[in-house]
This record gives sequence, structure tokens and C-alpha cells, in this order.
Amino acid sequence: MIRFFITFIVLQAVLFGAELTPWAQQYFVGPWTNALAAVSAWLVTVIDPNVAATGKVIRSTVTGFAVSIEAGCNGIEATIVLVAAIFAFPASWGDRIKGFAAGVIAVQGLNIVRVISLFYLGQWSMQVFEWAHLYVWQALIMLDVLVVWLVWVRLLPRDGGNGPRPGGPPEGSRAPAPVSA
Amino acid sequence: MIPPVAAAGKARGPLPGFIAGVFAWLPVTFVAWYFAAPVLTWPAALIVELVAKTAFADLVQSIEQVRAVLTFATTLKPGSSSTQGAVITVDVDLMLYSFGLPLYAALVLAAKEPGWVRRLVLGYAVLMPFVAWGALADFLKNVAITLGPQIASQTGFVAWQRDAIAFAYQFGALILPTVVPAVAWVLTHRGFLERLKVPPDPG
Repeated sequence: MIRFFITFIVLQAVLFGAELTPWAQQYFVGPWTNALAAVSAWLVTVIDPNVAATGKVIRSTVTGFAVSIEAGCNGIEATIVLVAAIFAFPASWGDRIKGFAAGVIAVQGLNIVRVISLFYLGQWSMQVFEWAHLYVWQALIMLDVLVVWLVWVRLLPRDGGNGPRPGGPPEGSRAPAPVSA
Repeated sequence: MIPPVAAAGKARGPLPGFIAGVFAWLPVTFVAWYFAAPVLTWPAALIVELVAKTAFADLVQSIEQVRAVLTFATTLKPGSSSTQGAVITVDVDLMLYSFGLPLYAALVLAAKEPGWVRRLVLGYAVLMPFVAWGALADFLKNVAITLGPQIASQTGFVAWQRDAIAFAYQFGALILPTVVPAVAWVLTHRGFLERLKVPPDPG
């Protein structure tokens, strides 16, 4: 457990530090955020043609209301947390990569829902927008990360790890699994 | 022998019920946190005051809490001759760094583990220093970076210290408020995680 948490914290700090470097901002974070805005705007145009994306900004061509996707709203930090949790956990590399791929889809998919919902909430009520933006969606995205990680842990083969499970008793001392029949 | 529906539920494990429970509890805990925030964040304000007056006594004259907002009265001057005698004040909203409290509470209540009150209190105690981190880093970021070179030059922070403050602020604002509750929940629910890992019953 201690090894898991130390690895988790170190990985998170290193990845987050790397994300803040000018190089990562220019070649990864910026393009990623622009792509997120473009995909979100493209999805919205299915039901609302009066929406356009310019860079990281999504704008209503009718009301002029716009949202800019800033740090913390592009899903990169949530993905960093998930990556750190998956790669710090004792599992095979194959399982880690599968978890990583599914996790990125889950986190970024929900993040697109967040961006689109905030775009419309802002046009309806700025008070509700602020609440959803600053508190509710932050919590929901982290809940998404936690649930994806828990599901991944549950789906891991019992002998797939290369070390002790967090919180688990030493190998050989584990009580037999309860049966439901 | 248990009915097939119950057997299917057991095979899925405690996760679906847990997730449904979290979504049921989140609105309740968010409303409770919103109204109780001035009281709930008071220990974090105390930590901020203790650290600020110990480590940044040359920058901070006093700190006041009004509802969930901390107002730092600094020793820094605005710099204009027309404002002689005036000092810079910085407001920091503790709610920006404490919304992990309702998330943690919803996770604990949804897990339905025995001793949930003790787990709530323990997690609350663990979260408070991180709320204080966010608030203090926010204040330092304001005086060292956001308020401009005229104010920043009075703080005496050199380039690497401003970089460290920027990192501490970003980490305290973007990562810690949501990660710490999740980590605290994992640490206080290791038995739940063990049950989660029990494989589905084949027969």
C-alpha cells in the first residue's frame, strides 16, 4: 500500500510538472484543448447549428456567448491522476495499457459532456454555471476517475499483479473468498 | 441458496450499489457543505493563519475570515503616491479548495462501511491541511505573480521561488482538491476495496 501511494504521488507530481512546461503547453496541452473545443462544437452542431469553435473558445453565433476551455477543464489533469493510479498499482503492463486506454476514453468522454453542459448552463444562468464549473463538475470528473480505477481493479485477474494488493493481507494469509450459493 | 437476482447482484459486487449511492448522496452533501462552509473551513483558516504568521510574517499583517472568504491584509504598498498609507489586501475563497469535502462525505456514506462517523471525521482532518495549502498558495500567487511586478518586487521572491509558488498554486487548485478526498477514501476503505476484488462466483 505504501509503495502504491508513493509511486502514485511521484508519478502525479512528475506528470503534472511536465504538463506545466512551455514545451508541453505548446505541443500537447494547446493542441489537445483546441481539439476538445472543436469536437465539442462539432457534436453540438448536430442539434444546434449556431455554434462555432475558434481555438479553445466555443461561441454561440446567435447570442455571442462564449466559453474558453482553460487549464483544469481540458481533462488532462484528471487523466494524469488516472494514469498515475493505474501505473502505480501492481498489475501486468497489458492490463495497465488496457486500463489507460479505457480510462482516457471515459474521462475525455465525460469531459466533453462537461464542456457542452457548461456552454448551455452559462447561457441560461451564470450563477448555476459558476456552481457547476467550480464545484460540481470538478467532483464528478474525479468521481469518474475513481470509478474507472475501481472497475479496472475489479476486472484485474487475481494473479495478474506483480506485488501485494493495496490493503490486502500478505500472500498466503488471505481468507477464502465468500461464495454466494 | 439465494435467488438468481441476488446472486447476480453479488456477482457484480458492491460497485453498482456504491456508484448509485454516491450519486444519491452528492446533492445532499453539496448542499450541506455550501451552507456549513464557513464553519467547516474554519480549521483550514486557522492553519493558514498559523503558517502565514510563521513563514510569511513580513508579508501578512492579519487574516480575517468572513463566511468562507479569507481576507489577507498585507504589508505591501500599492505603489502610487495618491494611495500612501494604503496596503494591498487579497481575498481567497476557501470554497474553491474545500469542495472535496462533499465528495469525500458522499463516498463514505455510499460505501456504508461500519464506523462511518469515524471515517468522516478522519477524512475531514486529513483534508483540512490541503484546503489550507490551496488558500495559501492562492494568496502567494496573487502577491508574487498576479498583482504585477510593482507588488511582486516588494515580496522579495526570486525567480525560482515564483516558479515554485506557481506550481504549488496549480497543484493546489487543479489536483489536490479532488485527489485528496479520493485518496483519503481509498485509505479509509481498504476493506471495501478488498471485497471489490473478490471475483464473481462462477456457480
